Parts: sequence; structure tokens; C-alpha cells
Amino acid sequence: MSKWSTLLSRSFLESNARERAVGLVDEGTFTEFAGPFDRRTSPHLEVLGEAVEFDDGIVTGVGRIGKTPVFVISQEGRFIGGAVGEVGGAKMVGTIKAAIDFADRIAKDFPNAADEEKPIVAISFETGGVRLHEANAGLLAHAEVMDQFQRARGKVPVISLIGSKVGCFGGMGFVAAATDVVVMSEFGRLGLTGPEVIEQEMGKDEFDSADRALVYRTTGGRHKYVMGDCNFLVEDTVAGFRAQLSELAKLPRSEFEALRRIGSEKLVEKQLEGVALAAELQPKDARDVWVHAGNPDPVSLAMAPVPQFRETVKRLAL
Amino acid sequence: MALNTLEFEVKTPDAAVAVAKPVHFGVVGSGDLEVLMSPLASGGAVKVKVVTPVTGFDALWQRVLEAFVGSAKLRDVSIEINDNNATPAVVTLRLRQALAEAAA
Repeated sequence: MSKWSTLLSRSFLESNARERAVGLVDEGTFTEFAGPFDRRTSPHLEVLGEAVEFDDGIVTGVGRIGKTPVFVISQEGRFIGGAVGEVGGAKMVGTIKAAIDFADRIAKDFPNAADEEKPIVAISFETGGVRLHEANAGLLAHAEVMDQFQRARGKVPVISLIGSKVGCFGGMGFVAAATDVVVMSEFGRLGLTGPEVIEQEMGKDEFDSADRALVYRTTGGRHKYVMGDCNFLVEDTVAGFRAQLSELAKLPRSEFEALRRIGSEKLVEKQLEGVALAAELQPKDARDVWVHAGNPDPVSLAMAPVPQFRETVKRLAL
Repeated sequence: MALNTLEFEVKTPDAAVAVAKPVHFGVVGSGDLEVLMSPLASGGAVKVKVVTPVTGFDALWQRVLEAFVGSAKLRDVSIEINDNNATPAVVTLRLRQALAEAAA
């Protein structure tokens, strides 16, 4: 692996899961849980004669950013599209559990600990959801991760980082939506039904998955930022994601609830207003929503560099 | 259906290079592989284990590994590979990268 300092300037999109995990936390602080040397490969893939990986496609571990312990989960899209199976799912669950247990221990032994000394969880998503080869175990893993989010809520902030090649789709799209904060780059994509599945089910006229521009302006980071599905839009570097994570690490823990997009009656009502707006607007393209949100020239806005975009864009108010 | 597992030893007469620390390199992407290279006292031999969905190329795997171990003059090393249809050129490249990482 490249030196830590050179990792930082690298594209988050182009990096692999381990490089992202190591680069997100301070130099030399990353300790991996169930890493490749533990050789925990998927027993299901082996039976099916499919290639296995020593870390089952998910890098988990703990590191620090300043004073904050950061529990990191980083999915590898190049291994079976980042699909989550039994071993990888258990690693995700175990890591969040470890963060919660650690928070409980700090609360008990050091009741006066400052917020920035309490743990957070960061998940870099790169997945299409359930690994179909081990469907039941994979689905169960999704449910168990959600379960841990509920336990973590109000205690350990869970932060989604989405800036990988595969994006975050399928069941893991739900999982990311259920976290406290979503951070994306413009290359990150977030959704439930992936572009190719929409095309397969609804036809090319409805959604042409070969049209990259259409895919990105519908599921990409900039659009998710306008829609409020993503809280923060960062530049596509490991350092960009790391800087946002480090800001969040310092945030008082009580302020995370307000960053959530779902998970309360009030937020459900807000989502329903969005549905009502869609029915009224009948948008033919994501850009129609941008115009409605108060951006008269969505095309040049979409082309603007990320910092300039963040400054000038009007986000949808519901 | 099950995965093809190959295990063999390679011994080079004038082998002198041992790895100092265990290293992991690579991602099991399509046409790619990962390698674990770790020190292993084995009387100068290099122990190889390959797990791959590919069948019918066992002799080729052995030749590629022999060529790599011979040119690097490796001894007392364990090489474990999880492969996903990598070509011989990619196999050699990843092995060299893993070795470079071990030396770094």
C-alpha cells in the first residue's frame, strides 16, 4: 500500500477499500479487525465454486482522528460488486457492536469524557446490496446492521461515506439511508433500485442505464445533495472525505439527530411532502427538480467545480 | 463445482531471499487475485497454495510460480493466492508487487 501521506491526495473513487479505511483515520492508527491474515473466507462461495477473498470484501477496523476513536467499515466493490454476504455482514455488525460497547465503557469509566473523545462509526459503502449467492445470510446481515443502528442511535453517530465506483444500491441503499449522516462525492451514487434493474423492469424508454449522464444526474452526489438525501458533498479525494469526517467527529453528539433524513414521525411527514411535490411537479428529469428548488440554470450548475456548486446551489426545501 | 485448490512446493537451488514480514496485496476482482506472502521456515522451500475457480491449468500455475520463485530467488516463504481468473501475466505482476511491498 502507498504511504499514508500519498493516500490522502488520491481519488476516493479510484482507491480500494483498505486504502480508503487507512486513509480516513490518522497515520498509523488503523488496526484491522478480521483482516486478510485471519483468512475468514465465505463458506458459501467455496461450495458454489466461486472465487473467495480473505477479508470477504469488507475491511473493518478502528483508528483515530485526533482524539476521536473511529470505527471504520469499508466495502470493496471489485470483489463481487461489493455484495454483502454472511462473513462480511457479520464483520459490519461486529464493528458497530464494538463501537457501542466502547461508548458504554467510556460512559461508565470516564463519565466526564468530552464528546470528541467518544467513538463514531464511519461506513464507506460500495455495494449493490445482498450477495445473491448467500441470499438469506446476506439479508439477515442487512437486518442485523439496521438493528445495531437503532442501538447506536443517540449514542454513537454512524456516518455514511459514498464515493466509490459501484455506489450504494439495493438493501444497502436502505442501510445508508438509516445512518445519521450521509457524506458523498459527486461520483458517489445512492439509490435503492440500481439503474440496470430499473431498465430491466421498466424498459429503456423509462430509464436508459447506458446513459451515464442520466444515471449520475439521477443518483449522483450532486442531485442527492439538492434533494437532501445527502448532508455533505465533498471533493473526490481521500482527504476530502477525511476532512468532513474529522469535522463531524468534533460535533456535539446531541447534534447528530438533527442531521437524520428519516426516522421520526416529523421526518416521515416531510418525506410525504416530497411525494406530494413529485405528484404535483411531474418532473421528467432530475433537473426539473433543481429548477423548482430555485436553480434556474441547472446545466451550468452541474458543471461547476464542487466548492462553487456548494456555495451557489439552492437545495430543495420541503 | 467446488473451488480448485492447488498446493505444491517450489525449491530453487541458489535461493537466498526471505521475506521479513507478512504482507497482503491485491483485490480478488474479476481477472485479478490477492496474495498473502509470509515468512515460513520450510528448509529453503516456498510453499504455495492457490484457490481458484479455474480448472485445467494446474500445470501452468506451477510453471508461473516456479518462474517467479526462481527469478526472485525466494526461500522459506508461504504464498497463498485467492484467484479470480487472473492471466499468468497478472499473476506474476501481483506476486512481484507483493514482494516489493514485503521489502518496503
